[in-house]
Amino acid sequence: MRATFFKKLVVAVLFLLPPCAAYAAHGASPLKVVEEIKVDASLEKVWGVISDFAHPISKLPIDRTEISGADAPDQSERRLILKNGFEIIELLTKRDRERLMIGVHRKTDNIQLLPAVNYTSLITLRSLDQDHTIIEWKARFYRGYPNNNPPPELNDDVAVAAVKKLIIGELDALKNYLEKPVGQ
Amino acid sequence: MIRLALSSVFYLFLVFFAHKTLADEAFITAQNAQSLDIIDLTSMTKRLSVPIAGKPAGVALSKDGRRVFVTSPEGHFVTIVDRKAGRIEKQIPVKGGPLGIAVTRAGERLYVTDFYGDMLVEIDLITQKQRYLPIGAKPAGLALTLDEKTLLVAARDDNQIIFVDLNEFSRLDQLAVGRHPYGVTIDADGRRAYVANVESDSVSVIDLASRKAIAQLKVESHPYGIALASGRIFISNQHSESLSVFDAKDLTHVATVAVGDYPEGVCASLDGATIYVANWFSNDLWAIDAATLKVRAKTATSDGPRAFGPFVAPAP
Repeated sequence: MRATFFKKLVVAVLFLLPPCAAYAAHGASPLKVVEEIKVDASLEKVWGVISDFAHPISKLPIDRTEISGADAPDQSERRLILKNGFEIIELLTKRDRERLMIGVHRKTDNIQLLPAVNYTSLITLRSLDQDHTIIEWKARFYRGYPNNNPPPELNDDVAVAAVKKLIIGELDALKNYLEKPVGQ
Repeated sequence: MIRLALSSVFYLFLVFFAHKTLADEAFITAQNAQSLDIIDLTSMTKRLSVPIAGKPAGVALSKDGRRVFVTSPEGHFVTIVDRKAGRIEKQIPVKGGPLGIAVTRAGERLYVTDFYGDMLVEIDLITQKQRYLPIGAKPAGLALTLDEKTLLVAARDDNQIIFVDLNEFSRLDQLAVGRHPYGVTIDADGRRAYVANVESDSVSVIDLASRKAIAQLKVESHPYGIALASGRIFISNQHSESLSVFDAKDLTHVATVAVGDYPEGVCASLDGATIYVANWFSNDLWAIDAATLKVRAKTATSDGPRAFGPFVAPAP
């Protein structure tokens, strides 16, 4: 009974806390989501969009993006200011033209936005032919509750479902943008 | 005819024996698939996959190679697997979130870090008694000294290595290292310990006699585990998808080897000729020649190989 009350208190505090700084407390079991989408666009075109860290194509309600640091891995940061008042700060961790890979680490954990913490994405491209490219999006993260025996609203399954939804949304947004006829 | 039959039997015997005695095996905890993969390292093929619940992470092997010990942080238990049969012998409930694990040479005691409860747990496998020692914030990797009198524990969120006197089961000393120490490995002659500092991108080299850090090696992004073989130090770098290689004698950087995505557990073969690395994101195990640093072979694993602990044993 007491333990349940304590857990509810912890969850309440977690929801009230401001978004935490980089590498906040997390559990012992990293989680994974891998999704991919086929896009009717050339590898060069997709790479051009994906590698432009300062101009994210996203399903998130982004009002504006502020960029800081040199345009290089582990230096470039973007602050996504959302229309709902929330902010997300992300660090470019990887931009490898040879491996066709981009890495992004979300420095601000906010379980009101996403019931997962320490969220990192690896986005890799694979050319099918001249006009078709596969975008693969892999994410590593932890559940929103950093301790033992998570409450149902912040457990591993909830975190995986939320990240899956987020990634599918982001891939759809990229596909829509990349396949938009010229001039529209 | 008899000679032929005899030589055939002899040949079969040889094949059987060669197979039985030469094949090292790897025991790979696949945390997302929730299984323990047993991989024949001669053929680099999976012999079998043992389902283990509770997001298995840490792994240790008894000296005789007969039993595998696996932690399940979300299941709150340690699983003992009969290595040859690949069958679960027993599950021992442990409070909190068991993560790192070490076993004594005689195989009678286990030491487990409780990542959620900030405890070190001692499990006596003969009496079944457990003892808990408050050890520091988010304890992760651990390693026994050669004389098994002292245990080193990485208290990750305290940025410290804790030295535990195992006779007294009490704190003996502590040493500040880099930020977020995780994997801990002690060398074969028991003189030095190596600690991967995840957020400092460094490895602390500790002299065990004086319990002081004697050097800090600069590695790549997010070092995780450390293996020692052929006079070299091999460090898996999670974010850089690489192994950093150093000379163990003069601590100079030898090379950086590209591996799979998000490498975690790393371990040497028994003869020290090969380094095995488990790649968490790409779900594979790579075999790398410890001398030439060339990739010898790769094999697929179950989802999310973590292999946190020394995971290679000779065939029984």
